Amino acid sequence: MHLKCTQSRVPNNAVRVKGNNVKSLKYVITAAAAVATLTLFGCAAGVAKSTGGIGEPSATDISGTVTFWHAYSADSPEVKTLEEVIIPGFEKKYPKVTIKDVAVPYDNLHQKLVTAVAGDQLPDLVRADIGWVPELANLGVLVPLSDDMSDFKALAATTYDGSLATNKWKDKYYGLPLDTNTRVLLYNQDVLTKAGVAVPATVNELIKAAPALKAAGAFAFADNGAGGWNMLPWIWSAGGDITNPEVTKASGFLNSDASIAGVQNLVTLEQSGYLPDIILGGSGGLATSDGLASGKYATILDGPWMYPIFASQYPAFTLTAAPVPSGPGGSISVVGGEDVVLTTSSTNKAAAAEFMRYLLSKESQLAMAKVGQMPVLKDVGSSLTQINAYFAPFSEQLKTAKPRPVTPAWSQIDTILQTEIRAAITRDKTVKQALNDAATQADALLAQYK
Amino acid sequence: MTTPTAAPLTGARRSATSRRPRFVAAGTGRREILAAYVFVVPGFALYALVMLYPAVQTLLLSLRDWKITPGADSPWVGLDNYIRAFADPVFLNSLVNAVVYTIVTVPLQIVIGLFLAALLDGKLPGRVAFRVLFYLPVVTSWVVVSLLFQYIFSSNDGLANFIAVDTLHLADANINWFQGRWTGMLAICALGVWKGIGWSMIIFLAALTAVPRELHEAAAIDGAGTLARFRYVSLPAIRAALSVVAILLVIGGFNVFISVLLMSGGGPGNQTQVPLTYMYDQAFKFLNFGYGSAISFSLTALVLVVAAIQYWWTRRTMRS
Repeated sequence: MHLKCTQSRVPNNAVRVKGNNVKSLKYVITAAAAVATLTLFGCAAGVAKSTGGIGEPSATDISGTVTFWHAYSADSPEVKTLEEVIIPGFEKKYPKVTIKDVAVPYDNLHQKLVTAVAGDQLPDLVRADIGWVPELANLGVLVPLSDDMSDFKALAATTYDGSLATNKWKDKYYGLPLDTNTRVLLYNQDVLTKAGVAVPATVNELIKAAPALKAAGAFAFADNGAGGWNMLPWIWSAGGDITNPEVTKASGFLNSDASIAGVQNLVTLEQSGYLPDIILGGSGGLATSDGLASGKYATILDGPWMYPIFASQYPAFTLTAAPVPSGPGGSISVVGGEDVVLTTSSTNKAAAAEFMRYLLSKESQLAMAKVGQMPVLKDVGSSLTQINAYFAPFSEQLKTAKPRPVTPAWSQIDTILQTEIRAAITRDKTVKQALNDAATQADALLAQYK
Repeated sequence: MTTPTAAPLTGARRSATSRRPRFVAAGTGRREILAAYVFVVPGFALYALVMLYPAVQTLLLSLRDWKITPGADSPWVGLDNYIRAFADPVFLNSLVNAVVYTIVTVPLQIVIGLFLAALLDGKLPGRVAFRVLFYLPVVTSWVVVSLLFQYIFSSNDGLANFIAVDTLHLADANINWFQGRWTGMLAICALGVWKGIGWSMIIFLAALTAVPRELHEAAAIDGAGTLARFRYVSLPAIRAALSVVAILLVIGGFNVFISVLLMSGGGPGNQTQVPLTYMYDQAFKFLNFGYGSAISFSLTALVLVVAAIQYWWTRRTMRS
């Protein structure tokens, strides 16, 4: 909002001072300097008051309006499914309840939530990126479902452990998994055939295949950054980790020998010319998907949402998937997805909780699966491949996939990882130095949330 | 109007020596002052509401570890956020980047803007069309041109690589502009210059138009050539406009934001952060609103000092 004003700086002021009136300059400059620089934060007073209990499962006396913010894609059939299948299905069951859904573009949702927290304007329910849940929980705006929802345990038990874990903050659960995904190895079979190499099942096989792939004109692997989402599969598969299980300390984990080895694998590949330097994290390079389809990249790691994208952009290209190349720690990928959370400022918690239950029902989960959202329910795994065959490798990978460390400090740790690993790739530091430095900085951040 | 005795006298005496209108000279009366305030109030009220109040709030925020949740305890931390900022290598780097951006873009905008203004001040066929063309980037949205420049500087088939590598052979292989700090800053600076030239051109053009033709004619009779006339007639006459443009461009340079946010996002790895993008990250991404406010205020203070020095220097040279 106001930020945008900072560069609309000059014209009006300037035209007024043309000519020789230097004295008026002083005022123009003072005003322009102040106007241009200050960033304005709105803030509102007032403490959120919660009213209404959370309700019992399948209560029949619920009524009122429930507001639900989400970032389901309006370009794909996701919003349509929500508005034409799921919400009508719920409202038919509970005719006195109206669900008001608000689609917010993903890139704007975090900022909108932050503003809404400050202004005490949060909706009843939010479909939040799994990374935002500990942050929002730490702000005290989410209802601890594990305390307040009588059937929380039963609901939680039906979902994948890796997805459920993303809702935990300080021994309480503040949300329920809604959809999930993970990254697997996507490869270009033509390139592998041309180079005469098999699909790399292990990291070592990938490293061994790299020279042959280079001779065939392709980079062995490509990724567009060195943050957690990118690096965690390599670190975990090498047997390393980011933090201790309590997420209070990074030293001894992020800079352990196994973590160093995991990062070193990629750094060595890059420095030998087998990885494109988009891993440095800058914009403007050949995107991983474009590189894979055009045969410039032999393998990439990516999620299930890429299938519809490849189908529309590269209809002639057959996308093939395999598990993340394994190392001493196994084949461990990173969990993505969204959770649904209930806010403390909700005035209709009973109806909102009932809608949460409905979102986790088999019918809602399968309806969303049809448009590419992977369900979080353990027992729909087998029927998934009937809906979308390409879900199979992802379902398999999800069995061992882990979430990123669940902490409000994650977005900052993520930036630190990107910065430090970049320094290792550009040879400004050794991998060991880089991860030591990253661990020290992460320790300081984690200490704030102990 | 005012009291019948003193005011007309003062007015009459003053009017003999000054060209100021009478009502200003007589403006010591309360009603005039009141009337002046009445005219000032609406503008000031708006300014106070949308600028002053939030600015003061921001200053207060910068002295706290501010929590966004209403009612949450936001402890007073004094100058801690400021101390943190000036020990933060990323913030210091961002200042260096802003200084580099300013040093690169301001002189180029002034020189090229002035050159174009001098050209378009002459009787050129189709000069209105040229004026519009050169001014067009100024009115184009920052978002649109930032994305456009991202394409121009894309590492594969971008126009910048085509010119630098394929045409001029400045490098052997395609340059990955946004993977490095200085190549990224170069792209950002290129956009800043391209978008800013038209604005300085228009100001200079307005100032040049105001230079009396007689001065040029007199100089020409004295045997001054085109360059000499520009140097000794035009340039001194537009000095005020030059300093205004310089000062406002420097302020704008330190406040570069949208282009960096959209083209590089401050990345890779904070390499191309400028103070405002870093402030934005800290406040809206990491929810460190107190720290973000401290960064804003540090930048404000810095810009005020730089602008004050420029102003003082301008006034001194003008007097001499």
